[in-house]
Amino acid sequence: MDEEDAFERLKNLPPRGHHALLGIYNVDHGPDWAELACPFAPGFLMDADAGLVSSGPIISLVDAAAGSAIIARTRQWRPMATLDLHIDYLRPARAGHSLHARAHCHHITRKVAFTRCDVHDGDPQAPIATATASFFFTDES
Amino acid sequence: MIVRTPYAQMLGIRSVGLDGDTDVLMMPAAASLEGRSGFLYGGVIASLLELACLEAVAQDRGEPWPKPINMSFDFLRGGKMIDSYAQARLVRVGRRVVNADAICWQADRDKPIATGRMHLLLD
Repeated sequence: MDEEDAFERLKNLPPRGHHALLGIYNVDHGPDWAELACPFAPGFLMDADAGLVSSGPIISLVDAAAGSAIIARTRQWRPMATLDLHIDYLRPARAGHSLHARAHCHHITRKVAFTRCDVHDGDPQAPIATATASFFFTDES
Repeated sequence: MIVRTPYAQMLGIRSVGLDGDTDVLMMPAAASLEGRSGFLYGGVIASLLELACLEAVAQDRGEPWPKPINMSFDFLRGGKMIDSYAQARLVRVGRRVVNADAICWQADRDKPIATGRMHLLLD
């Protein structure tokens, strides 16, 4: 393992902040993609009686996966900010199921990275959401 | 009321009262909401905007949560680790679909840190 590699560094960082609250962990990755997941928690519910899951954790997981996919592609540790994010909710997430988000970074310019993301709750063939997000590199290079 | 949902409670969100027709939601800064060091996590800001839209529709309709269809977010400024506020506006309430937008700000309402647009399906 290359000690200097930014993606390896990212993968091995202990969870902190909101990643730690949601329990986000790495599942798999490739040259331009990353899959992250988080286990279901009762705090994700909108309505405990109806078993209705909030879409908020899905957005946060997409944001995290998209950022990871960019680092998987660039292999650089560049500070970046989310510019925009669009999410389509295809069907409700099921209570008790882990959320998985697989993001691809499909294009990069000098200052901007573009990503797409699919989210499922156990069956990749039955996605619960799809999203696109773009990010701006805030460094000066 | 959105503030009674387990998810809003996990984020520490509370209502600071009506302003016009819709509630203003407030989310205090917390270490568990941090993204990159010193900044609020983008997904958390987006979630606050989404909850503001859901709250505004529920207030207008007086019935259970509408189903989210889709939502777009623009992130305008980094969110500092201070209190954040959000308020939604119902742009159009149709028979089946509601179009809403929301803004999120911190110290100065005229300098929003993020905006969102959402479609929701009514049952």
